Amino acid sequence: MNAEDETRKSAFIRFYPRPNDSMWSELTDEQRHPLLDEQGARFLNRLREHPSAPRFNWRIGDRLTREGLETVRAYERELRAAEIGWQRGEIPDWLNEFVTRCYERVPFYRAYGDVPQNFFDVPLTTRADLARAPEMFVPDDLPLDDLIFYGSTGTTGHHIHVPSHPTSAAKYISLLRAALDKHGVSLQGGKNRVAIANVCFQERTATYAAILSQLNGSGVVKINLHPNEWNDANDRAKYLNALQPEIITGDPLSFAELMKLELAVKPKALSSTSMQLETGLRDALEKHFACPVVDVYAMTEAGPIAARVGEHFELLQHRLYVEILDERGEACVKGERGEIVLSGGMNPYFPLLRYRTNDYARLEFSGMKPLLADFSGRAPMVFQGENGKRINSADVNRALREFPVWQFTLHQNADASLLLRVVNPNVPLEQIRAELLRLFGAEQKLEIVRMESFGAQDKVVQYTSELERG
Amino acid sequence: MNTEGPFLESLTRRLAETPPEFLLEPRIGNKGAVNVAAVVNDTLVALGQDALTQNDARVFQSTDAKQDRNRLQVTLLACWLLYDEWFRAHSEFTERALYFLQDDVRALSAVTNAQKFISDLDRREELVRVTLSAFGLRPFGETISQAQDRLMTLNAAERERVIQAARVAEQRAQAVREAMAKKAAEEAAAKAYRE
Repeated sequence: MNAEDETRKSAFIRFYPRPNDSMWSELTDEQRHPLLDEQGARFLNRLREHPSAPRFNWRIGDRLTREGLETVRAYERELRAAEIGWQRGEIPDWLNEFVTRCYERVPFYRAYGDVPQNFFDVPLTTRADLARAPEMFVPDDLPLDDLIFYGSTGTTGHHIHVPSHPTSAAKYISLLRAALDKHGVSLQGGKNRVAIANVCFQERTATYAAILSQLNGSGVVKINLHPNEWNDANDRAKYLNALQPEIITGDPLSFAELMKLELAVKPKALSSTSMQLETGLRDALEKHFACPVVDVYAMTEAGPIAARVGEHFELLQHRLYVEILDERGEACVKGERGEIVLSGGMNPYFPLLRYRTNDYARLEFSGMKPLLADFSGRAPMVFQGENGKRINSADVNRALREFPVWQFTLHQNADASLLLRVVNPNVPLEQIRAELLRLFGAEQKLEIVRMESFGAQDKVVQYTSELERG
Repeated sequence: MNTEGPFLESLTRRLAETPPEFLLEPRIGNKGAVNVAAVVNDTLVALGQDALTQNDARVFQSTDAKQDRNRLQVTLLACWLLYDEWFRAHSEFTERALYFLQDDVRALSAVTNAQKFISDLDRREELVRVTLSAFGLRPFGETISQAQDRLMTLNAAERERVIQAARVAEQRAQAVREAMAKKAAEEAAAKAYRE
């Protein structure tokens, strides 16, 4: 392994430690919550030390300073006042200036050369570009003191690190509010109450409790419904019942699990992201929880993009331009379904210029208002392990994050054997095998193939299975 | 540089007045307006040289805008420059025109954006002098040593600028990498969602 690979490997291992390892940064709770007051600190302790609380494995805060909070408030004011729209085939007023700024200040885009006269001549950006050198997307003039990042794998199989900032993270809440507004739900927050419970259902994921100054000191928890994370499986319901979260966010798999619990919570809404929410499950959830289920299309690189209203997804961000392109990168004709490509965004640390999402939809217009139709997000995939054990694709993601895998696909054959294809000449295959067998079971048949690349456009279907999905 | 060529100023002015057609986007894949290989071919023929072979034409065709757009843009500017009356009237000096368009232009475009060869006085002069030098020419009225010195000065200044810019860019990239490697960056901030 050469020095560059060693650096890459160590960087990945450093970026993605296992939860429960010794991994806390030297930040204090006060630094994690710069605007935390005494009441907030007491409430945070209550969330963490509740007798039914899970074994939280991650320390986190909103990291919002007074200045950062003002930035977020200004963003919210702009968001509320803005009209989202443009004429079909044209671009919104703000976009040309945004492109020029990117070409001037963002090293990756600067390397393209001169700004094209026509926006549609800007080259497309792919997830592979971001995976190779995330640092090249951070504009020259942004301070690095509070830089953070989020990791993701997504549908193309590239491990990525998206540079970000606490104010960008806080804008998720602004956009969640915008999505809820579309369904007549108002997220209010307030002291001594939990505004958001983010629920997961995975073998392993980061879990935490935090306080949100943006929502006037209310709490947010991220919890994993997997019984391994709790002292007693019954604590899952007890904890949520005690918290009475205003809103519950999650994905279809975790919501399906949530319905199995003896809950007495009355959330104003559920908000689903991350995976495709089938209509049947949505209807069942709305009936079960007696509240709207707001389906949000979001991705780590762009944040919340659109929320479902009726049959369409309406855009949430006022400075996000959406194109629908065919496989050659050409604009689809009116009504044709194609890949969603994004420009702009709400995260100044990763400005998007014609970023290919690997998600698909048609673009329709209601007047000037763009709508996504026939949207297909990432379908949840459940694999079968030893003795019929069900393995969520998110757990496979997490298991492989530990390794310097640049891209991978996992296929389950009709006989339940697995084929893993990984890209990176120096990835330690035996260690990956051991990790996957730990997840699937020691007797699981598993073939691992090392690949040079997946070829054209860096697009792959990451998870496939010949087994019946049940 | 043994032979005197045209006046420097006539060529730098020609560049400054590049018509908009030569500034259109080069055809790359199925995008862009100008077929650069066709323009190169027309230029070579106008200079009295052999037409472009299919094999040579490939250098001026691309499907990768990120990689080739600037080079093809500079190629168009170089073609406009070579279409000058002086070059067309002196085909004995332009036998290396294809080589120039393939190799010298590649080197120039690796460090300078096309637009600068029009808007920046020194870069205009550099493109003109590199072009003349490729054909063994020097600007009219200059001695060999004057022409060599001036070209070297322009090259050195540009090289220094590029090296300095690369150094600053690498320092910044390193600073971003270090900031991302910090535990505090990895810890991130609470979000309402996971994707």
